[in-house]
Amino acid sequence: MDEQAGYFRVPGAHLYTVLHRVEDPVARILLVGPFASERHNSYIPWVRWARYLAAHGIEALRYDYRGVGESTGVFEQMTFDDWCDDVRVLTEWLKNQSPEVPFAVHGLELGGILAARAFAAGAGNALILWSAPSNANQVLKSTLMRWARLEQLLLKGGDERKSSADYIRQLEAGGRVEVEGYEWSSELWRASFNFGLPGGFTDEAAAADHCLRPVRIVELSKNAAPLVKGGAAGSDELRDLSWLYAENFGWLVRKLAGRKGNPGD
Amino acid sequence: MLAAKGTPVIETLESRQLIALDGGDPVVRGTYHRAPDGCPACVGEAEGSSRVGILFLNSLTLPRAATGDSSVYWADAFARCGYPSFRIDLPGLGDTEGELPLDVLHFINSGEFASVIARVVAELGKRFDLAGVVIVGHCAGAVSAIYAAAATPGCQGLVLMDPYFHLRQAVRPWIREQMSAWARRSSVGRTCGKVYDRLGDLWLRMQGNQVPRNANSPLLRAWKQVAESGLPILLLKAPGLKAPGVKPRPGEFDYVRYVVGLAKRKSRVSVIAVEGTDHSFANRTGREAICRHTETWLATHFPVASSVPR
Repeated sequence: MDEQAGYFRVPGAHLYTVLHRVEDPVARILLVGPFASERHNSYIPWVRWARYLAAHGIEALRYDYRGVGESTGVFEQMTFDDWCDDVRVLTEWLKNQSPEVPFAVHGLELGGILAARAFAAGAGNALILWSAPSNANQVLKSTLMRWARLEQLLLKGGDERKSSADYIRQLEAGGRVEVEGYEWSSELWRASFNFGLPGGFTDEAAAADHCLRPVRIVELSKNAAPLVKGGAAGSDELRDLSWLYAENFGWLVRKLAGRKGNPGD
Repeated sequence: MLAAKGTPVIETLESRQLIALDGGDPVVRGTYHRAPDGCPACVGEAEGSSRVGILFLNSLTLPRAATGDSSVYWADAFARCGYPSFRIDLPGLGDTEGELPLDVLHFINSGEFASVIARVVAELGKRFDLAGVVIVGHCAGAVSAIYAAAATPGCQGLVLMDPYFHLRQAVRPWIREQMSAWARRSSVGRTCGKVYDRLGDLWLRMQGNQVPRNANSPLLRAWKQVAESGLPILLLKAPGLKAPGVKPRPGEFDYVRYVVGLAKRKSRVSVIAVEGTDHSFANRTGREAICRHTETWLATHFPVASSVPR
């Protein structure tokens, strides 16, 4: 398969991108992955999804958030607005490759909020959301709780032990907390409460009505781990998710058939 | 590269470059962290050598950036010290294509990645004019590193973070999981847990500290081969549950002591306990400690020579 990795220039940083190229694609799609530490857990099935799409004629572009993974930038300095800007730049670039080809946006977890906001602003002919929370704090909180449980188990004993509530208090008091190798600022924590799905995204039908384009909202269950958090940390083994890929690919093809690109123009 | 309209995409940054090692199937993808311009080259120990590179392997199924992007941090740091550093995705992991069995752990514990790592080491040596590489592995990556070192002439050293030398037990019965959870939660449970650990310790002594039945024998043989040959090895250990320092939890077999003993007279194995971190070594304390210890170790065994032109 033709997979082209590169560094995509954005103001102040370079985003790591991988384009799963297709000759004469029937559609294009931007894949907006999950938040920071969840990137690592979900990476293999996310890449396999991109390969599945490319093998079936849909050109896919995936990337790392600014300050995360292979992208450059300092995580601690990033804001939700920066990550929104990245989606906007990438959707514009991908759409402009051949404006007549239909174009979709797909977000996983926090990436669902980023994708939905870009879609609501006019990017894309169709939108898929996998396990998108209503606001970013849900993602941060569940990640923090899972990490704190593991920390309690492995690292500290006695008075040193801190619960997730202690860490939340620390963030709310203006402190920083290092979660799975990423330093969270109190600013990021506070902003996460107000960074959510666009208005009108109460359910699939409402979102589609609101945006006047097809929207698919899927709540992944544990059988889709490690795309989503499954059991205890470290217990999410690889599994065959071809059923999930086939379902969502089928939906995309049905919704994009006969459509032209550039809905927001 | 994204060869498309108005592309703002490049493959090379000032300090990093995306690489595709296409000397075999599949193409192995990774990131090369370049030593800064003007940085002195590093002298290897092999005859006629020039530079020694650092090769990072995946930790189990994580992509090459590792937890909290800690591998990116380490590769940047070692490159700044003059050691060209490479982070790769092994076949089926990260961005490298390839099929992986669902039971990845068994696959890794059997040393199935050794041959592809040997190929990568040879290719890196040729392409970047390296005398050899030091392989860095964490957890399951450390297991692959040991197997690879035994099969790779170009491997000049090993940095192993929390390696393990046993095979996974069958799934723990539900009742044992519940008892463990209870032992962690309640004070009575914790007391019972301590008694259980003491009994385990006593049982281990009565058995004459024999290697457990679930030891990974092929891995121990590979370790013996590389350690006995005098290959420089740095073993870094994070604290575990009830296991501070390099000692195991009471009642558990002391693999670190055992493998150090296997190395015998030519041994150049250094063991260091890293406190204040967890198994991932990804927090600030952990990553800085890994940098500090590894840089000191590299300076001892693979000193940077300012006189050698790059």
